[in-house]
Amino acid sequence: MTTTENRRSRRTEILEDRPVNLDGFVEEWPEKGLVAMESDFDPQPSVRVEGGRIVELDGRARADFDFMDTFIADHAIDVETAEEVNAIPSVEIARALVDPRASRDELTRIGRGLTPAKILDVVKLMNVVEIMMAMQKMRARRTPANQAHSTSAKDNPIQVAADAAEGALRGFAELETTLGVVRYAPLVAIALQVGGQVGRGGVLTQCALEEATELELGMRGITAYAETISVYGTESVFVDGDDTPWSKAFLASAYASRGIKMRFTSGTGSEVQMGNAEGRSMLYLEIRCILMAKGAGVQGLQNGSISCIGVPGAVPGGIRAVAAENLVASWMDLECASGNDQSFSHSAMRRTARLLPQMLPGTDFVCSGYSAVPNADNMFAGSNLDTEDFDDWNTIQRDLQVDGGLRHVREPEILQVREKAARALQAVFAELDLPRITDEEVEAAVYANGSGDYPERDVLEDLKGAQSVMDRGVTGLDLVKALERSGFHDVAENLLTVLRQRVSGDLLQTSAILTDDFVPLSAINDANDYGGPGSGYRLQGERWEQLKKLRHVTSAEDPETEVS
Amino acid sequence: MSAPTAASTSERTLTLKEVGPAKRASRPDEVVVAVSPAFSDPFTKTIVDVPHAEVIRQILAGIEEQGVHARVIKVWDTADLAAVAHTGARLSGSGISIGLLSRGTAMIHQRDLPRLSNLELFPQSPLLDAEVFRRIGSNAAQYAKGESPAPVPTRNDQMARPRWQAKAALLHLKEFECIVAGRKPVEVEPVISRA
Repeated sequence: MTTTENRRSRRTEILEDRPVNLDGFVEEWPEKGLVAMESDFDPQPSVRVEGGRIVELDGRARADFDFMDTFIADHAIDVETAEEVNAIPSVEIARALVDPRASRDELTRIGRGLTPAKILDVVKLMNVVEIMMAMQKMRARRTPANQAHSTSAKDNPIQVAADAAEGALRGFAELETTLGVVRYAPLVAIALQVGGQVGRGGVLTQCALEEATELELGMRGITAYAETISVYGTESVFVDGDDTPWSKAFLASAYASRGIKMRFTSGTGSEVQMGNAEGRSMLYLEIRCILMAKGAGVQGLQNGSISCIGVPGAVPGGIRAVAAENLVASWMDLECASGNDQSFSHSAMRRTARLLPQMLPGTDFVCSGYSAVPNADNMFAGSNLDTEDFDDWNTIQRDLQVDGGLRHVREPEILQVREKAARALQAVFAELDLPRITDEEVEAAVYANGSGDYPERDVLEDLKGAQSVMDRGVTGLDLVKALERSGFHDVAENLLTVLRQRVSGDLLQTSAILTDDFVPLSAINDANDYGGPGSGYRLQGERWEQLKKLRHVTSAEDPETEVS
Repeated sequence: MSAPTAASTSERTLTLKEVGPAKRASRPDEVVVAVSPAFSDPFTKTIVDVPHAEVIRQILAGIEEQGVHARVIKVWDTADLAAVAHTGARLSGSGISIGLLSRGTAMIHQRDLPRLSNLELFPQSPLLDAEVFRRIGSNAAQYAKGESPAPVPTRNDQMARPRWQAKAALLHLKEFECIVAGRKPVEVEPVISRA
């Protein structure tokens, strides 16, 4: 051996420069909860029922319950079946989850009685392929879908309207926005709603804000649903945010009272990130969140680590745990908007691998959401996928014959909806006496990529306009009237039909989205009926023909030309 | 972002020599720099390897170049940045403080503000380098003089999460282990020496 201490091989240098080595990785520290899902410090499953009440949960007597235990024992677990189903060996339940002959109904029945530690015990037996097999069967809605982020680094409403229209046209069933400057919210939420309905009637929109304003925009019909109602797996983290499971349940019922769709948000890693994991694994705590959501009666949950993805992403088996938390949400019969929504890795290969456990089996929303703006404009701090990945995504769908909710759209169609969205917003702003949108801005919106491609807005005037929207009590119906008066009859009709859903309450059903024909598609009328090969959702027929299209495909008829 | 190469500073080490209980001062021309329990011992550098000696050196230089006096205290009973900074502000003669966590996260606070508010917050520790620390010192000193400086520009890097989020969590947990419940803040004399 004649190696010298300071000299590195050329190969090491090349590997050292690979993007994956910019990612952060840490060792596990189970005593503090810095561990994905395999920890000696998680409780052992147990349950005891006396007089119709759970008196022992996962080794803890009722007298020692914290408020999460109390809420879960009293509201999430079916006392009728708890002792029976918890006695089933975990391996039998895990195998039934994977076995296509075991029905989804039977598994949700079993799931309703299980304790958090028992659920963990079951999924710990499953590898990532088995988790995907189970997800394919357990997701609530038969047809998978996708959700987009539509934001602007300058909170520019014209940009948001144009990108919302393009996103809707590309196939996103839900669009989500948030702000850099929070006071801009009313204008940007209006832009998202108008732009979305131009791209495809029936798209649902939301604006992530502090909870009171988010609720108010929902009640006014400026947004169609809500998602950013965060819950946590330990009492200490909950209390830190001045919240309890009951306060979150109360907020949930406020949305339900107006027929507004909503889901909670949680994810592995949040408790340990805040230093209060109470010595439990990330997945154990996330399972408590999932049961809390179920106990609160909400129809769904956004999970998959979400904004804490850097934490499970840095420990061994962390992305397996993230796949498992999505599975548990679906197994508990909740809508699952399954993450893939935050910047995750410097490595394109690793970004894709992180995505497959949701994209391949399909979830209610594969991303929650996919950045339908360049990541530099993403005010959720960047997503795992952005506009530059559209063609890659479409190609992966075509390669694997998997429906990830998007499709290739030819540029003329895209330019057309972008222009119409900007024009519609221009008209709405004029009708509502909001700061003017110029023709120059409309033209910029048609061809732009990011916020830098638009003329600067007068931010102070916009903020005054935003405040006046709140002060004047502008509602979704005012937007409908403004669209109708200015000649955008079809867009007005689309928005009115979306607003009507809150009267019927159909969007309160699990996993509800609206089709192009405004038919609610939910676990009620589009229940997942997967039962093995040849059953369940299959990418075929007209939809498969759509997904065969890419930007560049050589024509078989005339190989000197391309079809797209 | 890249970690600063600390060639010129790597030989500097920081010792915080305990002087006595931290008291409220009456001189109106001072800024208190309040550091968290693990600052300089056992930790010696921020999340991106800026030596604590350099952090303190730059902050003190930033304060002093405004003609303002600086005093350093160590807070023992919390590792919550707002609490650390607010403790400093309440002891500061001017009512202005800089709170510092070991990983580099920083905040400028004022006595009369609610604890969870602040004058300026620098939440993304991986983006704080020597120059930013100097500007934080300078701005705090200007507030102490009753001026209204333009806030230090905050940076943003969406790829900070995949690179640093887990390490930040780990450092946070370690810092929590260094908390001494009930121990009052201590005034310290920063001694920067060349090893």
